[in-house]
Amino acid sequence: MSQVAPSAPQVVPVKGLGPGFGAVTVVLTIVNIAMTLAVLYLPLDFLLPSESNAASDSALAVDGLFKFMTVFGVAITIYVTGYVAYFAWVFRRRAGEPINTVGVPIHDSTKLEIWWTVLPTLLLVVLMVYTIVVWKQLQFPNTAASLTTEVVAHQFYFEFRYPGLQGSIYSPKGEMHLPAGRPVKILVTAGEGDVIHQFWVPEFRQKIAAVPGMVTELNITPIRTGRYDIACSEYCGKNHSIMQAKLVVDSPADFDKWLAAARVAAAKAGPTIDLATGDAGAGKTAFTQKCAACHNAAGGFDAKIVGPGLLHIIDDPAHPKLVDGSAPTPEDIENILVKGYTGPIGAMPNRQANGLTDGDIANLVAYLVSLK
Amino acid sequence: MDVAAHPVEQHEAHDHIHPAPTGFIQKYVFSIDHKVIAIQYFVTGLLFMLIAGSFAELMRIQLWNPKGTFMDYHTFNQMFTMHGTVMVWLVLIPLVTGSLGNLVMPLQIGARDVAFPWLNMLSFWLIPVSGLILFSAFLLPDGAPAAGWTEYPPISIQQGTGGIFYCLAIIVVGISSTLTGLNFLVTIFKMRAPGMTWTRMPLFTWATFATALINLFATVALSAALLALLFAQAFNVPFFDPARGGSPILYQHMFWFYSHPAVYIFILPAFGVISEVLPTFARKTIFGYKMIAFSSLAIAILGFAVWAHHMFPSGIAPWLQIPFMILTYLIGIPTGIKIFSWMATLWGGRIQFTTPMMYALAFLGTFSFGGITGVYLACVPVDFHEHGSYFVVAHFHYVVGGGAVAAFFAGFYYWFPKATGRMLSEKMGHLSFWLFMIGLTGTFMPMHWLGLEGMPRRYASYEVFAKAFPDAVFWNRFESLSSSLMVLSVLLVAINIIVSLRSGRRAGNNPWGARTLEWMISSPAPYYNFKKIPIVLDKPYDFTQPLPYRNLDDEHQDPYPVPSEAALPRGATAAVGA
Repeated sequence: MSQVAPSAPQVVPVKGLGPGFGAVTVVLTIVNIAMTLAVLYLPLDFLLPSESNAASDSALAVDGLFKFMTVFGVAITIYVTGYVAYFAWVFRRRAGEPINTVGVPIHDSTKLEIWWTVLPTLLLVVLMVYTIVVWKQLQFPNTAASLTTEVVAHQFYFEFRYPGLQGSIYSPKGEMHLPAGRPVKILVTAGEGDVIHQFWVPEFRQKIAAVPGMVTELNITPIRTGRYDIACSEYCGKNHSIMQAKLVVDSPADFDKWLAAARVAAAKAGPTIDLATGDAGAGKTAFTQKCAACHNAAGGFDAKIVGPGLLHIIDDPAHPKLVDGSAPTPEDIENILVKGYTGPIGAMPNRQANGLTDGDIANLVAYLVSLK
Repeated sequence: MDVAAHPVEQHEAHDHIHPAPTGFIQKYVFSIDHKVIAIQYFVTGLLFMLIAGSFAELMRIQLWNPKGTFMDYHTFNQMFTMHGTVMVWLVLIPLVTGSLGNLVMPLQIGARDVAFPWLNMLSFWLIPVSGLILFSAFLLPDGAPAAGWTEYPPISIQQGTGGIFYCLAIIVVGISSTLTGLNFLVTIFKMRAPGMTWTRMPLFTWATFATALINLFATVALSAALLALLFAQAFNVPFFDPARGGSPILYQHMFWFYSHPAVYIFILPAFGVISEVLPTFARKTIFGYKMIAFSSLAIAILGFAVWAHHMFPSGIAPWLQIPFMILTYLIGIPTGIKIFSWMATLWGGRIQFTTPMMYALAFLGTFSFGGITGVYLACVPVDFHEHGSYFVVAHFHYVVGGGAVAAFFAGFYYWFPKATGRMLSEKMGHLSFWLFMIGLTGTFMPMHWLGLEGMPRRYASYEVFAKAFPDAVFWNRFESLSSSLMVLSVLLVAINIIVSLRSGRRAGNNPWGARTLEWMISSPAPYYNFKKIPIVLDKPYDFTQPLPYRNLDDEHQDPYPVPSEAALPRGATAAVGA
């Protein structure tokens, strides 16, 4: 072990706050002001949520809070990284400097430590108060909802229900409609025996979980007409990433027209089959009696008897659509059972020819959907 | 310094030195030496990091095209689940607490080993066992777990065998963590060198102490959650089935009661590393020692009371949201104190840009940034927008990648000479640093705005989102390219290690001129660490004072350690007094 001569440390003193501290502070402050103005006034649509794509009253409130935090977040980032870079540079060891130079032995400053405990605390208290005000407005809105709709999330589609509308609207074929300017309450749940999903409309800046056995709600007033995406944002299984729906925000008059037309169309279609009453067990029996001669329930598409195998009717990556080109939703499966099919891969008789009652169809759909 | 002025505890010892083992198996495989175990943790963690990193790269290839046709959805879902699971439990915990904690903490307190060396060996060996269990899920037709690293029921119950392997593997890691926590707590309580009072303890040891508390008290909640999930999966027990009186939300509470503190299991030791690296390379005492030490404890304790901020839009009662938000905001205060104290440590120093210092300096920026986006997510109304989006992915990769991993690398470059006796190449070190930081920024920065614009996480295909936001394709490709830089960085670390072990310069006892006890002994440390247990008179960090130790093994120890010429970048130093 080599013996080293004792080398008393040489302190390199610092004048004031360090060379150029004032100038650096001025530069950082100018940068900070510029950035703050940019955050507040430039149309940074590609970076930040902005008014140009906010589509609900909540979105405006959330964006306000977001910008408030961004002003302080930007300031903290600029000053922290700016001073770290400045300190690192100005207090760097110079080339050729004696090896025993050390920094100034300052190890405490009660005053400084109090400042940097108290200031962030105050800032957080202000943020807390602001947040609670916005939160209260979103969670407990003053105006009563003029419309209550229901969203039921299933693997991997959304079902929408409206008051006075027989049956449900299913994504991706069916779209959700909401009126602009009217407060609405959206009740959200997941299908029985299904998994957790989330109902997210980015332009509303709001989302809520769809949990089986539990009803959650979003209270919202859409403020801008247009077409928006609804996305599932809680991982829900294999096809999570294609679980989307469309939301159409109409003017109030258009919405009323749409809902009236939808009600009439649903009533005209006769007593619709209530798929919710379907029983997969009974469906299995019906399948054996009425379908099994042509279809195999134990094999995938290619396990044909006459028609395709149906084991993966709803989750076959090679055949993401039904034979008639529609999505594998219960509604579309029902449609084929009702109307039959004629096309490139053969023909299937309609419900009358097959002797299927409403109950049979509901049960068969429940059974087919349960196959995996 | 007057010895009598500092009360010196009577050292109760079983004070004889066992001979070092000579057989290969006892020496390198089933070793009970904390320094060998630390290296075992390191090698295991680095291998798992390369595997989990390649899962991430496969995901980035999938996301090159919005359609996502590189692999099928089920495979993609397995990839992101395994990436998260392996990174959290088989990379971060082994590397940060297992490897750094084991190597450094006993040396820093002047102990000859941890309190329970055999238990320590068991803790390590549970990690590869857990990895074997987890990866063997790939062999069954259902494949690996595919319900996300969080494994929320009911989706985790639907997925077949993968979930069962997940539960078993992570319960095993949990046992390992709990034992390590217990071991470290007892070690720090009972085995500090005489005179090392709580306020003289090095800050990495303080951080390890706070981490050990979390490991001991939080991990049991995870084990309970996973045991319940295992029973739900394997035996159809309806803990989480609403149709039979269970609640899927219950699992989320139990899971996050562990998994939020778990974030601090990686980040507190990271804080400890930064508190060691900054004074050494700024040649200046740490600023605000007590505040840094106590803020670690404050964070560890507050960390237990914030878990529901992961669940704001999950259907929890609205009145629950506000207290959890406020408690989460409060964590910003001790975290801010640390950041400001570290900045003040830099002020007036003589800063050397060694590789560990580069990582530590960058950490101050990246970690602060990740902390700030954490405040956004803690804010309930804003979280109702950002939850489940790429903004969350960006936030936690900044905290974990720019925080825990960056600090881990700082610690790795700092203590590698102590562990092996050889220096790493500074050139390769700097290159790996820049690759990592540029890669990190390029990969995760754009995720912030992708998330804000509406891109949900865990999507194997983002066709619909790309239609609404066409720039998404460009940014996703930008991220995919950037992420490969991080892979290069880690590979370069591996190459640096191999080159150093073959032909690296000898490190000597104390290449950096540092002042904590681990640098007072030879590198690598002898089997028994300290022949004579040192006596500690003060905190280690004041560079203008002589070393506060008595009874050191090296009687010729320079009372004012200086960096060795070989350890500093060329031309940076001159002879003493020149």
